[in-house]
Amino acid sequence: MRTTPYVLLALALGAAPLASRAEEPAPAGTVSATSTPTAGPTPAAALPTNATETEKCLVCHGKDAGELLLESGETLSLAVDPAAMAASAHGRKVVCSDCHQDLLDAETPHRKLRLASKRDFAIQFSEGCKKCHAANYTDTLDSVHREQITKGKRTAAVCSDCHGAHDITPAAEPRSKIARTCATCHEKISAAYVGSVHGKALSTGNEDVPTCTDCHRSHAIADARAGAFRLKTPETCGNCHANEKLMGKYQLSTNVLQSYLSDFHGTTVAMQAGEEGAQPVVALCTDCHGVHDITRVSDPSSRVIKANLLVTCKKCHPDARADFPASWLSHYQPSLQKAPLVFLVKAAYWFFIPFMIGGLALQIVLHLWRMIVNR
Amino acid sequence: MTTSTIAPTSRPGAIPKSHPLDAYLVRFNLWQRTEHFLVMTVFTLLVVTGMPQKYSTAGFSAAVVHLFGGITATRNVHRVAGFVFAFLMALHLGLVIWKTATKRFELLTMVPDQKDFRDALQTLRYYVGLEKAHARFDRFDYRQKFEYWGMLAGSLIMVLTGLVLYFPALVARLLPGQLIPVAKVAHSNEGLLATLVIIVWHIYNAHLNPDVFPFDPSIFTGKISRERMEKEHPLELERREEAGRAHPPER
Repeated sequence: MRTTPYVLLALALGAAPLASRAEEPAPAGTVSATSTPTAGPTPAAALPTNATETEKCLVCHGKDAGELLLESGETLSLAVDPAAMAASAHGRKVVCSDCHQDLLDAETPHRKLRLASKRDFAIQFSEGCKKCHAANYTDTLDSVHREQITKGKRTAAVCSDCHGAHDITPAAEPRSKIARTCATCHEKISAAYVGSVHGKALSTGNEDVPTCTDCHRSHAIADARAGAFRLKTPETCGNCHANEKLMGKYQLSTNVLQSYLSDFHGTTVAMQAGEEGAQPVVALCTDCHGVHDITRVSDPSSRVIKANLLVTCKKCHPDARADFPASWLSHYQPSLQKAPLVFLVKAAYWFFIPFMIGGLALQIVLHLWRMIVNR
Repeated sequence: MTTSTIAPTSRPGAIPKSHPLDAYLVRFNLWQRTEHFLVMTVFTLLVVTGMPQKYSTAGFSAAVVHLFGGITATRNVHRVAGFVFAFLMALHLGLVIWKTATKRFELLTMVPDQKDFRDALQTLRYYVGLEKAHARFDRFDYRQKFEYWGMLAGSLIMVLTGLVLYFPALVARLLPGQLIPVAKVAHSNEGLLATLVIIVWHIYNAHLNPDVFPFDPSIFTGKISRERMEKEHPLELERREEAGRAHPPER
């Protein structure tokens, strides 16, 4: 809780300014803009002497605060909803100048901010969040969103795009809020997710299922096209699908991860994971099961249900024909019921290798023993 | 057993006859030595690039795969080596068939017969003290025949299953799809068996066996000492000396 006595208080009360304009930090790279306040400041005398900083700011920035004309021609509302702000996660813990530091020590009415565009303002302003949220901010530096902004795609999300500004509320409460947040930009993918087995369950209040951030993370969001992210797919899915307790609730097998990893596809992915810049060259979980539109394996539209499997195989094996899908044991361990031939050959070697090597080793031992005896 | 198949004259490819005074005898000709060297090299390369795929999570695997420049590169080396191996096997079989057909080769020296089973039994009885004398062997003893046929059968399995794994979609067009995981299990296990036989059996017989320690050079030099011939292949030595006496070499 901030208890510093803020100078804005004095300003609002009509006291002499304690700081000169020359000391104000000006946002870099901005040009002056004209402001067109529609209403003048409310008389300061209306406030009690023990008013908080926020209350004082709201004297001007209430719902009739007017708009600021930006260099881009856009207008930025200067109004703040006091109720939303009070109900926000920051609520009474954070005061205006914690974020609006550049307005601290300013006279009233303070100088007009010089802003190029709304987007510029949002991007620049997100820098301020690190003051309190250092870890999450640092994570965003590695994110695909930040990478895109650096490359010039300025619509990529910054803090306030997902979290809001004055109305910040916990991002994951309820969990279904996360997908709605991402849907702001990722509309199609979000729609696919909502229709998936995970999305449907989430919408009925099931909190076990993954939502966007469980696979993509929340702040260190990797480029989903990058090899390093894609090669982690088995691990990502395995976080839940190899969890006995969680899968037990839904009678799902946890053997899916191990059976994948011990097969050709999985072995390849596991070995590629250490290679710098490698893109997967074999099927990942998502290549067969789908990504955002993933369905129950028993769903008639499932890519991996027997009737659809050949089509799925052909994505990578275009010359595959009718019996090719039988070469994949569908995450089953070979047994007399499932893949009996595989089971029998495996069992034969399981017996034959020790028998053969043991026999040869025995003869070596006998030979050595005879040589020692003969000496 | 094979006496009748021994070439009486020095036809190309025939086992050279020996003079009783020679301290060293020729055991392998240049092609046999070359063939062994090639197979040894390619086999080693196959094991080195194959085992990391079988034991993909083992510590050594990541290091080996990295050394070859990633799993895709490692697999490419393995596949090329596999094709070379298959070619060497086909060449070997082709030469055996051709030389046998043209009677330039004593094929039967490698064919197991009743004596080999008696020899095996006698050797084991000798080892445990039930027999006074060691079995007397011809050109190849029962252990060498066993290794030769084991290697040939194993190679056939490895080449066939390797091809199935390289062309899975094609194979599944002609045969049941389940044969592909069968081929994987067989390739993986047969490869392990071959590696273990080489490590346990071949390394013992060619290196660690006190009779030849530290190294039996005959497959590289082509020569074997008379002393070892007397001990290890007395029947062959007798036949060759007989032939040598009958047809003394020009000296």
